[in-house]
Amino acid sequence: MMDVGRHPNIKLLAYSEVEEVTGYIGNFHIKVRRKARYVDEEACTACEECVKVCPEIRPDEHQLGFATRKAIYIPFAQAVPAAYLINMEDCLGNNPIACGKCAEVCDPKCINFDQQDEFVEFDVGVAITATGMDVYDPTILDEYHYTKYENVITSWEYEILTGPGYVTKGELLRATDRKLPKSIAFIQCVGSRSEKRGNPYCSNICCMNTIKDTLYLKDHHPEMECVVFYMDIRAFGKGYEDLYKRSKARGVKYIRGIPGDVVEDPKTKNLIVTVENTTTGKIERHEFEMVVLSVGVIPRPETEQIQRALTLSKTPDGFLMESHYQLNPIDAPTGGVFLAGCCESPKDIKSSVIQASGAAGRAETLLSAGKVKVEAITSTIIPDLCKSCGICADACPYGSITVDIKAKTPAIVVDAACKGCGTCGAECRFGAITMKHFTDNQILAMIDAMLEEKPEEKICAFACNWCSYAGADLAGLSRMQYPPNSRLIRTMCSGRVDEKFIWHAFKKGAPVVLVSGCHFVDCHYIDANRWTQKRVEKIWNQMERKGIRPERLQLEWCSAAEAVKWTKVMHAVEEIRKAVTKDEIEETKKILSAE
Amino acid sequence: MAEEITFKCLRCGYEYKGLYDKKVPEERTCPKCGSNSIRPLPQKKEKS
Repeated sequence: MMDVGRHPNIKLLAYSEVEEVTGYIGNFHIKVRRKARYVDEEACTACEECVKVCPEIRPDEHQLGFATRKAIYIPFAQAVPAAYLINMEDCLGNNPIACGKCAEVCDPKCINFDQQDEFVEFDVGVAITATGMDVYDPTILDEYHYTKYENVITSWEYEILTGPGYVTKGELLRATDRKLPKSIAFIQCVGSRSEKRGNPYCSNICCMNTIKDTLYLKDHHPEMECVVFYMDIRAFGKGYEDLYKRSKARGVKYIRGIPGDVVEDPKTKNLIVTVENTTTGKIERHEFEMVVLSVGVIPRPETEQIQRALTLSKTPDGFLMESHYQLNPIDAPTGGVFLAGCCESPKDIKSSVIQASGAAGRAETLLSAGKVKVEAITSTIIPDLCKSCGICADACPYGSITVDIKAKTPAIVVDAACKGCGTCGAECRFGAITMKHFTDNQILAMIDAMLEEKPEEKICAFACNWCSYAGADLAGLSRMQYPPNSRLIRTMCSGRVDEKFIWHAFKKGAPVVLVSGCHFVDCHYIDANRWTQKRVEKIWNQMERKGIRPERLQLEWCSAAEAVKWTKVMHAVEEIRKAVTKDEIEETKKILSAE
Repeated sequence: MAEEITFKCLRCGYEYKGLYDKKVPEERTCPKCGSNSIRPLPQKKEKS
């Protein structure tokens, strides 16, 4: 951080919040609120004279309340810039006027009680999001009595108690008697890997953090009894298994089982832990002088603000979604925005550094090129047909369409941000969006050609470019047999499959239509295939109302690797096709032609 | 708000109950045949 602060080409805006981001890749305009510090950070020499005279004492948030700070303070020892700030709520309390003692003793005269929040605006070409993570609050897990028993602490609090720069100067002490505990238990997966008791995901770092903690304890206090209660130890990184083995070799005991109860002995303040040892199948009780809850990782609350400002997406666990979890893990779905560290998912320092380096590299590549390669297949608005309803803007996963609904001006597609999924075109009710190289007329012509001869024998299938079409391709390459009467129409995304394509196919005598796309988690256009599902569900209802069997429209999610699934699906669809009679097809054609 | 509704597999015809929230789309798979052609059956409106 010091290097960042000193770098001539980096402008560091600490104690600031992003208020608004407009624009797109290469042309972002950012508005930042610089919160009032009430201290001139350029002039402040961090001499500490102000702190000595400040009468207001508050819990130090950075040290989780184990230490105190004054109303004028530096948030943490390594903060850059190393300048003080005044928390005005703490300073004033219920008084309307500040005491002014800090200003009296400040030689450089850098305290200014009249300072106001400032707004800074600037243009940038790319943005990197690195909002970090928070930890799970185990208070609601009754079985551990976290807030009731003082000797039950979290792994974060443990770091504060063992860190040399903190209140105990690295000396691990029990809260109840200020003595070094003789025995300590670590309980893993607190708030992680549980649908009902916390979060369903694995927090990734807790196992190795605990192993590191046990090694530290065994290095400094070899006589201390250390026990780790765990579900599975996930030591999957380079050298991690070795650390795990070293920890066991140093005498740390690993018991497979998560404790169901922690009870305090009122006399000794020791903690009795009850656990089912799943290796032996027996209920065991162990006594410890301290219990450390290895708490999981959660997204920081500020992530939501950044998500809104940069029109990013979140995964169900609340972390920011990457463009593609395997192929594009650094890019955010919004062009020109990159993700680094735990804002994207829980990860350790090494993985965060790797992702941050990748993000910096991706950003540098774009900036040095000075131009962006635009997709050849982008959407185009036909202004005369556009009714400014805004549905296209809602459907666009990349936020590349802007529309002023009030002014009734036609929608605008930013080519640099459009990735060409075509969902906007399929959702537009007025035919006001056309997609280059995948126009309505081109696709309708393909349907016509497909069903020109013996339509009752054909399977009309729409397959997305990245997954289903590739899955069909793999089936072919692997010499897997699927019905030869299958006819595929490739679209970049299943989101492009307009309902008029499906109706047109039925009108032309198609016995069955298959719409196929990526699995939800694989969608190459973030969430465009959710629109496909929504659209197909709507058509099923319409088919039933019209007297057409909904079974004749099939929906399948098939990945590029699922050649076997593809063949199975096509055989199943062929069975459905066989059950559709010529009379039924003629009846459908009549119904649809009469509209 | 998720509500309990009946889903029907349009491949094998199997019907089952499950939670459905229009605003939270999720990938659905037939527990019997594995198809993704799962139709949320429209709820019948109660007579007032």
